[in-house]
Amino acid sequence: MAEQDGAADAVLDEPAPRRSGTGRAVALARLLHQECGHLLQLYRERESFLDDHTPEGGRIVSLSPDTLGDDPGVEERVGLLHAALRQCLGLLHCLTLREVEEEMGELEGEYEAMRKNVRSRLEHLLLSTRVLLPQPGEAEVTPDNPCTEEVDGEMGSFALKMWTYRVLLELLHWADHASLTLHVIHTQSQETEEV
Amino acid sequence: MATHMPDRGFSHIRKLKSHNVWLICMLLSLSATHTHCTDALDVPQGVVLSADRSTQQLSISWLGGAAITFDLIILRTEFNETVFYETVTAPQENGMHHWTWTSYEPLECTSRSVRLRSRDGQKTSDWSDTRILEGMDHPNKKDSMMYPQDPVVLAGQHTTVCCIVEEGKDFGSIRYNSTVMNVTRLSRRSYVTTKFNQAPSRETGTNVICYSGMKMMLTGTVIFVGYPPLPTGLECETRDLTSVLCQWSPRNTHLYGRRATLNTLNGRDCGKTNQNQRLAECRLPEWAGNWTLVAKNALGQSSLNYSAQLTHRVHPVAPANLTAIPHAWNATLQWDWDYPTYDLLALICQVEITSDGHTKTRTFSGVGLRSVALLDLFPVVEYNVRVSCGAQQHFWKWGTWSKTQVKTGIDVPEAPALWVSRDEDNTGKVMWKPLTQRQSHGEITGYELTLWSPEDKVQHTETVLPGINEHPINLTHMATAGKVIATVKAKNAAGVSPPASVVIPQLLSDVEPPTVSRVVGADGGFSLSWASDANASNGYVVEWRDASCLHRCPVSWTQVGAGTTNVSIAPDTLQAGVLYSISLYSCSPHASALLQRWEGYMQELVPLRSVPNLMTNQDNSDIQLTWREIRLADRRGYLLGYRVYLNMGPQLKLIAKLSDPLSRSYTVKNLPVSSYKFTVKAYTSAGEDSGSTTSITMESYTDWLLLEMLVSLGTMTCFLFLVFFICYKKRKWVKKAFYPDIPEPKVTGDWSRTQGPLDVKPHANSMVHIVEESGWDSSKEKLVVIPEEDEDEEQGVRDEPVDTDEPMTIRYYNQVVDERPIRPRYPDSSESSSSSLDSARTDVTYTGIQTSGSSLNFQAEPPFPHDGQQPPPPQGDFPVALAGGAGGYRPQVQPAAPGQDPGQAAPPQSFPEPLPAKEGSFGCYQPQCSWQMDSPGEGDEGSIEAPSMGSPTSVASTQFLLPREEEERSEGEGSSSATTWLHNLLSSTKS
Repeated sequence: MAEQDGAADAVLDEPAPRRSGTGRAVALARLLHQECGHLLQLYRERESFLDDHTPEGGRIVSLSPDTLGDDPGVEERVGLLHAALRQCLGLLHCLTLREVEEEMGELEGEYEAMRKNVRSRLEHLLLSTRVLLPQPGEAEVTPDNPCTEEVDGEMGSFALKMWTYRVLLELLHWADHASLTLHVIHTQSQETEEV
Repeated sequence: MATHMPDRGFSHIRKLKSHNVWLICMLLSLSATHTHCTDALDVPQGVVLSADRSTQQLSISWLGGAAITFDLIILRTEFNETVFYETVTAPQENGMHHWTWTSYEPLECTSRSVRLRSRDGQKTSDWSDTRILEGMDHPNKKDSMMYPQDPVVLAGQHTTVCCIVEEGKDFGSIRYNSTVMNVTRLSRRSYVTTKFNQAPSRETGTNVICYSGMKMMLTGTVIFVGYPPLPTGLECETRDLTSVLCQWSPRNTHLYGRRATLNTLNGRDCGKTNQNQRLAECRLPEWAGNWTLVAKNALGQSSLNYSAQLTHRVHPVAPANLTAIPHAWNATLQWDWDYPTYDLLALICQVEITSDGHTKTRTFSGVGLRSVALLDLFPVVEYNVRVSCGAQQHFWKWGTWSKTQVKTGIDVPEAPALWVSRDEDNTGKVMWKPLTQRQSHGEITGYELTLWSPEDKVQHTETVLPGINEHPINLTHMATAGKVIATVKAKNAAGVSPPASVVIPQLLSDVEPPTVSRVVGADGGFSLSWASDANASNGYVVEWRDASCLHRCPVSWTQVGAGTTNVSIAPDTLQAGVLYSISLYSCSPHASALLQRWEGYMQELVPLRSVPNLMTNQDNSDIQLTWREIRLADRRGYLLGYRVYLNMGPQLKLIAKLSDPLSRSYTVKNLPVSSYKFTVKAYTSAGEDSGSTTSITMESYTDWLLLEMLVSLGTMTCFLFLVFFICYKKRKWVKKAFYPDIPEPKVTGDWSRTQGPLDVKPHANSMVHIVEESGWDSSKEKLVVIPEEDEDEEQGVRDEPVDTDEPMTIRYYNQVVDERPIRPRYPDSSESSSSSLDSARTDVTYTGIQTSGSSLNFQAEPPFPHDGQQPPPPQGDFPVALAGGAGGYRPQVQPAAPGQDPGQAAPPQSFPEPLPAKEGSFGCYQPQCSWQMDSPGEGDEGSIEAPSMGSPTSVASTQFLLPREEEERSEGEGSSSATTWLHNLLSSTKS
């Protein structure tokens, strides 16, 4: 993990002309994945009953398989990833609102600091993936979630904790997915450049 | 509306269960009897159930006719367990009867059935239809649920929660945080537990989780345990003289977020209390005079009141734009106020000035005060200044601090303190104290030193760099007769300081030295006092230096004011164990005169080094110890004397204590001749040094030795004379006793010859024949050894080996006086010896069988018993001749004991003394015959085969037997001469 972290930092520290867009996105995705893992760990420490719990239900953020063909191109894959990350940002935004409402976010602990970190990193990753899209100007980097389901006030504290846990798992999943996808795209782009 | 509080205990429920059947039967029988006997009561109709799940209350309303008392029974529907059965009074209101029942567990936990009947005394109606309040464990609700959700509970109270298990799953446990709780089953899918005496929750509440039998989490709830609000310390004040700010200390309710305490001040919302705040505050735009704070949360509310006038609660804000205008010795502070209302407010301001860790506070007052002057500052000093103000009238509290920094300007330095120290010659040094920051008033750029002789009108000026605080001077060419004035000025960027002048004092050798007093250090320093001197118009200077230092010595000094006649020299300028010479000078514009001198140690120590050159000198039986003086620098204290020790092994024995420190010697008397080691230690009040040690080995006293020798010689001489005199007087008796007349022998033939000893070299064949045969010749059983010496002599031979290195000859004396016939002599051989031994009467006797060392050693063997036992094995250094058996002198071996096997080698045995030899012996004299080795080489001790036995000689002689040759030799020539002389004397007497 430390080695991976060091590699990501090295990429981010490269001068802009030498750093490709995909390389920067890969590095950001790896950092995001690492920080999402840390955030989940901190939440588990706070709510110890979640330690061995595997939530039921599918993904919160889901992409229709119809949107992907048999052999999607780079643009399609980046576009889907970008959309998923926007939903993740929306979930994180809703989560923050609910926790602040519960005054959990008012606390200034390590968990709250890491949550802010993850949000900032996710926004940067969205910006980085947007430039990889064929028409960057049309892509949004704002949260794609109205929080209608979660912030209607009917959700109990226990349900909120369970939902928060699912959201954090979702963030971790999509950060990992982004890291892998962008790495493949980056590798392919490098091979193409070499050819 | 009638209300009945529920039975809060499960024990009561169980009791109801046990009496359930019995009660129902009784009531039914009574009811039937009553019905048949009286008018029927109306059966309650239209029973309606209404649940308030937050309060766990069940409201029951019905139409009951004229009856006002009813029997009410509530059961858990699924298990048909009675949880409530009582006769209740419920008067009719608006045509309906009402009753409210509070459930012990949440109403969602399970379904309840309710029935009623009217009662009038003993008369009862029929039971109403059963009304059921469905719980969340109804089969049509299949999910797992836990109730209540997010309850807010007072700390210390209890909470009952139930878990409804999902259809088709098994119940496992309920955990309160991590504690597994005891549960009670309410229905097929519902389980309930109660947590008593709950502790306050953490920020995110207390988790209660329901697990399945497979330990899978089914559902859960969060309980928020806390306290009702209890604000304290409400205070309201104004900072802008218009609005009001009220503050109070909130209680930590352990409830956060939407459950946190909501505050209102005079009905205006002040928001929720942040639990992280130590002080909660609320602002109102105008001063009200009276305020009421209401704090409220889910567990209760609390209120506080406060009243005050505005002018009595002024808390000024911090001065704005605080600036300073610095000067060299003062500064001006200026500031503004954020609110114009302050212009008319009488203020009191405190200014705190801090420099070098020291803080001074000054206060100023005035209406609308916004400027003050700070005096008594020092040049070129950085000050930290902060200002705070309060209302001068009806002071409430100091306002907020505002701070700034002030650095004052530069000014000319002060005159440095000056002194001139003289050495023994015309040299010396001008010294001045370095100026402190407070005295320099800026960075010192240098010093200007001037030597001026008023009489000679000679002036000499030098510039000294900064950081140097002394300068050497030579007065050889200046005012040898008159006085010289030294002047020093310090310089900085602002200018030159006033001059500091001192008249150079005269040399100590030029003035009459005052008496030196001894001063004792106290508290690590010296406290000096003196009589006031009228000439000390410029005060005094006290100068001290190391008294053991002779040239170019470091000097310390201090100035004392004219009116002061005492001073304490601080210990930081002094060292322990150093003798300081202290001089007091009076200073005036015209002279610097030496007034008084002291010397002393700040602290005495043991001497650094022991006495040098410790020497010893023996004077007969006395030993004188001498040493030299310890150097002054090494004394480290006033010497009180010396202690002389005698080293006795590792310990020292004190033999003298010399209390005179000037002692340089000590004599230890009457010592026996031996080796001695002495240690001399000097001591001060702090103790004695490690000591010097010297050793001496005494020699014998020469005169006593000579005296002893003379006395011994005189005594011996007297004794000899006495013996000689007695012998002379008794010479006849001596002759008769020791030298009787012997008849002359009768000799046939011509035996005349020249008298004297005849030395015959023994022939080689005269040696004892060494028998090579190992067998024992029985014919030689009679062979005996004729000893040549008497027993004493033989014993002496046994005790110590004979030196056979001397050349040996056999000496025959021809002055034979024996009358017996002389048997013809055969050449020396073993055979001849044997034949002579075989004869019945022996005329020839061995008179001098001179044996070698090895032979004598053989004789020295201790005798063994003749019982046939084998002798012990030979010792390590036993003679070789004994070990061989066959290599010994066969003829000298004693025959074996009778009966012993002849063929067996005879063990070595001692040689008995033969009688003939005994009869013929004379005391300690040996026969006159002897023989000597032909050459020293043949008599080598290491050779066993060396000839060591003489041939037989005649003993038919009555000559006076000479003493043993060894004895003669040991006594020396003198003894031999004396014997000759005695012989001659006796001969002369005989004749």
